[in-house]
Amino acid sequence: MATREAGKKMIMLKSPDGMEFEVEEAVAMESQTIRKMIEDDCADTAILIPNINSKILSRVIEYCNKHVPTTGATGAAASDTVAPAALAEDLKIWDAEFIKVNRATRFDLIQAASYLNIKGLLDLTSQTTIDTISDNSLEEIRSFLSTKNDYLPEEEQTIRRENQWAFQ
Amino acid sequence: MTPSFRRHRRLRPRPASAPPLEDGDLLDEILLRLSPDPSSLPRASAVCTRWRRLVSDPGFVGRFRLRHRRSPPILGCFIRDKQSPVVSFVPTMEAPNRVPAERFSLQLGGRGPITFLDCRHSLLLMFLPYWIKVLVWDPVTGDQHRLDIPPGFDTKQGIGGAVLRAAGAIRHFQVVLLGRDKQVITACVYSSEAGVWGNLVSTPLPNEVPVDFDFRGVPVLIGDSLHYLITGVCSRILEFDLNKRILTVIAGPVDILDVGSCQSTVMRAEDGGPGILFKSDCNVQLWRRKIDCDGQASWVLGRTFELDTLLSLNSEEKEPTVMLGLAEYNNAVVVQTVAGHFMVQLESLQFNKMYEASSWHFHQPFESVYTGETSIGGGGHNGAELLHNT
Repeated sequence: MATREAGKKMIMLKSPDGMEFEVEEAVAMESQTIRKMIEDDCADTAILIPNINSKILSRVIEYCNKHVPTTGATGAAASDTVAPAALAEDLKIWDAEFIKVNRATRFDLIQAASYLNIKGLLDLTSQTTIDTISDNSLEEIRSFLSTKNDYLPEEEQTIRRENQWAFQ
Repeated sequence: MTPSFRRHRRLRPRPASAPPLEDGDLLDEILLRLSPDPSSLPRASAVCTRWRRLVSDPGFVGRFRLRHRRSPPILGCFIRDKQSPVVSFVPTMEAPNRVPAERFSLQLGGRGPITFLDCRHSLLLMFLPYWIKVLVWDPVTGDQHRLDIPPGFDTKQGIGGAVLRAAGAIRHFQVVLLGRDKQVITACVYSSEAGVWGNLVSTPLPNEVPVDFDFRGVPVLIGDSLHYLITGVCSRILEFDLNKRILTVIAGPVDILDVGSCQSTVMRAEDGGPGILFKSDCNVQLWRRKIDCDGQASWVLGRTFELDTLLSLNSEEKEPTVMLGLAEYNNAVVVQTVAGHFMVQLESLQFNKMYEASSWHFHQPFESVYTGETSIGGGGHNGAELLHNT
């Protein structure tokens, strides 16, 4: 949980299971949904975030903390001496570690990123899901994503026949 | 532990807490990130009926195209028959992304060969001399639009053209036609949305441009402007600003000519601005146009390389080498040598051998995502004839 730092505007985010997270306003505003609320309103506000449990919300805050523009003292990346390319590379490595989570957590993160409108996190979680399945067979994709094949056998055959080259 | 707040705000909860792959919007977000390789959407379609519905939805198709607008894969090359109105396709990707040749072949009625004018945003633009029309063909859906040539164009004097879709457009497209009458260049834009040709725009050519120049090569879209190399014994680029509808002629590098064993083409330079590729025998020079702080334009010679060294051609194989086509988004050229056809990427200088057959025809690389069945244009407009899947 964040601690209040001098001169930084803090905001309280509450999860439905009763946990509270005090974060810098700039970090919370990585979420376009929260940004809009803050911009439409005055300060001193606690925001209840329904549907996102404290475990997922803490991961989302961790992501936003790392990705908030580095004008303040929000992380190690806040040095003026580090080249932008090195910063980007650092973030990429950090993202790759961050997304090493089980499937259920990743799906929860996708939902949270979509709901809170955090584009970078939605990109990361969705792209990782797609990359995971891209080289798999249809059966493996269905099994991994718990998606039921509702085609009749002859329907599936017709679809495969339409673009047979894509299944070679 | 919790400070007291004057007010508590609450975000509106999601309607239902469905898993992401059951939620249509989230599944859409995820599938949008599928690779642009041609097997992606056909394979996704086969997972289940819901996936099929989603990836064939016109809105999804538009977003998928938009996402890969600047980086579509090169599916292969179109080659026209020199005797008859036939277009054949040579696939260049490996399985399972190798779209078979017959999927994109086209046989038109009438006689005589067609002329390729341009290919962009999954559409191929051709001139049909027998019909005196231009044809916009969507090879993926098979849709064809034939457009009458607008008044004021003398096709016997040579004709140039370009085809494009606005960012995010699903069905509609624009065609730019370029014609010349002695030292005057004329452009006209067709919008499938309006269904009509717009007003003619003209500009005089500098005197040093010979009257018999032709619109060789293909235009390159840089920003909102199309760039054409006016080939011949001079070095000029015709620029057409699509927003302002203004034609201008800009000078190329002074010592770039296009005669004898030399070839040149407009290309997108590494900085995203206009560039020129100039090839003389095996020597290739890449130029870029630089604008200084006073707004003065000049040409800067960038990378140079030797094709025979790059492609490891022996002394018998290095003559001749001919540049047969440009893939503008991939910044790659098709080069024909005695040893076969190569696709050379101009930034990385990576190359791959496409095939060995000897064909000296112009190759039109087909850069496109493969999105399945979505018809173009909308049809029913004056001057355009829509022939579905003919």
